[in-house]
Amino acid sequence: MENTPFIKTIAPGVRLCAVQTDRFKTGCISFSMALPMDGNLAAKAILPYILHRSCKKYPDFSFLNGRLAELYGAALSAGVSKLGEAQLLSINLTSIDDRFALTGESIAQSSTELLLELIFDPDLVDGCFGEAAVQREKRLLIEKMESELNDKKAYALRRCEAIMCKGERYGLSKYGTKEEIEALTGETIFDAWQNMLKTAIIQIDIVGSGANESVADALIARFAKIERIPAEIQTLFVTMAAGTRREEEKLPVKQGKLVLGFRAGMEDALDEVTAAKVMTDIFGGGTYSKLFKNVREKMSLCYYCSARLNHLKGVIFVQSGIESDKAQLATDEILRQFESVKAGEIEDDDLKSSILSLCDHLRGIEDSPEDLAMWYTSQIIKPDITTPEQETEKIKLVTMEQVIAAANRVTLDTIYMLSGTAEEAETDEN
Amino acid sequence: MKINEIHNEKLNESYFEIKHPSGLTILVLPKAGYSSAYAVFSTKYGSIDTRLALADGSYTDIPEGTAHFLEHKLFESEELDAFERFAKTGANANAYTSFDRTGYLFSCTGNFKESLEILLDFVQKPYFTQETVEKEQGIIGQEIRMYKDVADWEVLFNLLRSLYQTHPVRIDIAGTEESIAQISAETLYSCYSSFYNLNNMVLAVSGNASVEEVLEVADRLLKPSKGVMAKREFVKEPAEPVTGYCEEKLSVNAPQFMLGFKENIKTPERTAEERLCTRILLDIIAGKASPLYKKLLESELINTTFSFEYFEGYGYASSIFGGETKDPQAVAKEIKDEIKRLKTEKVDKQSFERTRRKLYGRLIMMYNDVDELANELASTFFTGNGLFDEIEVCKAVTLDSVNDRLKDILEESGSALSVILPV
Repeated sequence: MENTPFIKTIAPGVRLCAVQTDRFKTGCISFSMALPMDGNLAAKAILPYILHRSCKKYPDFSFLNGRLAELYGAALSAGVSKLGEAQLLSINLTSIDDRFALTGESIAQSSTELLLELIFDPDLVDGCFGEAAVQREKRLLIEKMESELNDKKAYALRRCEAIMCKGERYGLSKYGTKEEIEALTGETIFDAWQNMLKTAIIQIDIVGSGANESVADALIARFAKIERIPAEIQTLFVTMAAGTRREEEKLPVKQGKLVLGFRAGMEDALDEVTAAKVMTDIFGGGTYSKLFKNVREKMSLCYYCSARLNHLKGVIFVQSGIESDKAQLATDEILRQFESVKAGEIEDDDLKSSILSLCDHLRGIEDSPEDLAMWYTSQIIKPDITTPEQETEKIKLVTMEQVIAAANRVTLDTIYMLSGTAEEAETDEN
Repeated sequence: MKINEIHNEKLNESYFEIKHPSGLTILVLPKAGYSSAYAVFSTKYGSIDTRLALADGSYTDIPEGTAHFLEHKLFESEELDAFERFAKTGANANAYTSFDRTGYLFSCTGNFKESLEILLDFVQKPYFTQETVEKEQGIIGQEIRMYKDVADWEVLFNLLRSLYQTHPVRIDIAGTEESIAQISAETLYSCYSSFYNLNNMVLAVSGNASVEEVLEVADRLLKPSKGVMAKREFVKEPAEPVTGYCEEKLSVNAPQFMLGFKENIKTPERTAEERLCTRILLDIIAGKASPLYKKLLESELINTTFSFEYFEGYGYASSIFGGETKDPQAVAKEIKDEIKRLKTEKVDKQSFERTRRKLYGRLIMMYNDVDELANELASTFFTGNGLFDEIEVCKAVTLDSVNDRLKDILEESGSALSVILPV
C-alpha cells in the first residue's frame, strides 16, 4: 500500500523512513537527531540552528536563501524539542515536486543534496565554527529562549513541567541554560557537532515522489565516513506523585493561567498507552470532553480548558486560561470532573465519540506530508515503527473498563497558577 | 442547475462551481488519493461589517464584536448543540471570524455526508435566548482578555488603530468586554437575517468528496433566504494615519515593533496582480535573501521573529513589517531607507526572477492542504476572483509591472510604528 513506509537501516542507529507517493504537490525531508538530555544541552541545542544558516558551499546566509528561492521557495526550518527525556534536533526541508518545475532540474534531488550539505559540510573556519556565526547564533538562541515568556500559555506549561519534574531531566530546558549558551565557543559547538554525528539516534523521514533508493544511497555514502556509536536514551517514568505541590507566580497579565500536572501511572512509553490516550481525550480532548462541556460550556469559566497526555514521559497536563481569582473554583471543578472519569461516570456515546475523533484525526495525518513525516519522527527512539492506520486499529479496541482503569492509575502531582498582579487588576476596572 | 468546471493544466486540479437554486454558491475541489475532506460554510460578514442595512435603505450601527459573538452562538440549538451532533460523526468541527468573513467548518475522514448535513442544518437554524447570550459573554470575555496578554496581537491592533482613521479594520475582531455587553438575542437575530442570507454566503469543499455527494445534501437542506440582504459599504479612508507612533507596555522580554504602510486605495479590493506584485516587492525588500535582512540581523536589530505581510481586505491594504528588536526606531529607519533606495534604483531583473520563482513554488505548496484550499476557495469567491488567478498571474507577471506597483505603495507619509515595551 502506498502509505506504508519503506524502512532501511543506513548505519548503526541511523534509520531511513521513506513514504513514496505522488499524491502530494511537494516533497518533504526531515533529518532528526535524538540525544540524551545530559551534558551541555546548549551546545547541542544550537546545532540545528547554526547548521541550517549556512554550509561550505553556501557560506553566506543570503546566498543560501537565494538558492532556496531558486529551488522554487523550498522551505527550510530547524528546531529543538523534547521527546520524553531525549533532546531532539531537527532540520526540515519542503520543496515542490519535480513535475511543477518550470525548467528541467530535479528539485527533489537538489533539495536532498542541499540538506545533507548543511548537516555534513558546515562552513568551518580553521577547523571549527567561525566567530561571527557563533556570536550570531548565541544571540538568536538566547533571544529565542527568553521570548518564551511572551506566550503565557506555553510559559505556564513549561513552568509547571519544570516544577513537577525538578531533579528529572524532563524538567530541564530544551535549550540548556542562558549561562551555558553564553559560554559556547566555536570549539565546543564543533565538538558537539562531531559527537552528534557519531552518537545521536538518527532518523531521516522523507515523504513524496522523491522518496526512493537514491536517497538511501546518498545517506549511506555520507555515513560511511563516520564511526557510529549510538547513544542509549532512557526516560525516567515516575508512576505515582509523592504528594501535591502547589505553586503560584505573579506577572503583570490580564488573564491567569492554570496548569495541573498529573502522573499517568505508566511504567514506560508502551504501558497501556492506548487506553491512557482515550481516557485523556474523554477527560479533556474534544468538545465532547468533560472539561469542555463543564468548565467552559456549563460554568463559562474559560475560553479553553484541555488535557494532554505526553506518553513518552507518562505525564498529563491540564491547561486553562481563567480569571486570577477563580483559580480555586476552576481547580475544584477540573478535579471533580477527573473524579467522575475515575468513577466511570462516562456515557457510552462519549467513549464512542472519542474513539471516532481520535481515529479520524489519525487518518487525516496521511493527507499532509509534514504531518506524516512528524508522525514517524516522533517514533525515532522506538525500535519498531507503526503507521497511523495501525494506531487506529489499537484505538478502536479500547474498552470502557480500560479507560476507567487508566484513570485510576493517575495521580495529581503539581498545581501551578500564573496570576495577574494587583496593579493589573485595578487598571482593568477603568 | 449548471455545474461549471474550472481546470488548471499545470496544477492538474479542477474545481466545480454551482449556483444553487437556493441562492448559495457551492464550490467543490475533489482531491484524488486523499482520505480527508474539509468543508467551510462561509458568510461575507466579519468584524469590519459594523452597520446593518435596513429595509428602507438606511443603516443602523451594530456593537463591535457581533459577528464573532454570533459565530459562537450559532453552535447552540434548542435540542442537541452542533458539537454534540458532530461528536457522533467523528468530524472535527470549528468556526472562525476574521475581518471580512465568518466560516463554519469541519474536517473528517469518514461520514462526510452526515457531517455536511449537520453543518448546513445548524448554520441555517439560529437559536438565541437572553440566557445563553449572557452565558457566552463570560466565555468570550475570557477570550478577549487572553488576547490582551498576547503581544503579537496587541502590536498589530495598536498599529491598525494608528493607521486607520475611519475604516473598521481598526476594531478588535472580538470587540471589547463593554461592546459585547450590549449584544442581545435580538441583535443576533437581526444580524443573522441580513448577513446569513444564502446569496451572501458560499459553501466550499475540498478533498475526499464529490460534487454529487455535496449536491445531494445541499438539495435536501438548503432553504432559500428571505429578507434584506447585507450590503457592504466602501468606507473611504484618508491617506494619512491617525498617528505615526504608538506604544504599550506588556509583560514581554524584549520590545516588539510593527511598521505599517497604509495604501491609499481608490477601489475596495486589490486585483490578483496587485497582490502578487506587492508580495514580490516585500520579499525583495525584506526576505531572507535580501541585503536588508542580512544587515538587520548582523547589526543585531532583528532576530528570527522578524516577518512581513501584505495585509489587505475590503477597503483596506497595508504592507507590514514586524518582530522583536532592541531598537524599534532604528529598525524602522533602516526599512524606510531601504524602501527609498529601491524606489530610486528600481528592482533588478535577477531579484525579480528569483522571487517570482519562490512565490510560484509557495503557491503550489498550498495545493496539498485541503483546509487551506477550501478556505482559499471561499475567500477568492468573496473577492470576485478565481482560485487559480494568482498562480496564472505569477507565471505572467513582468518586472515592469512590479516596478510600476512600487511607485504606488510603501509611502512614508502613510506609515505608522507600533511598539510594545517590556513592563
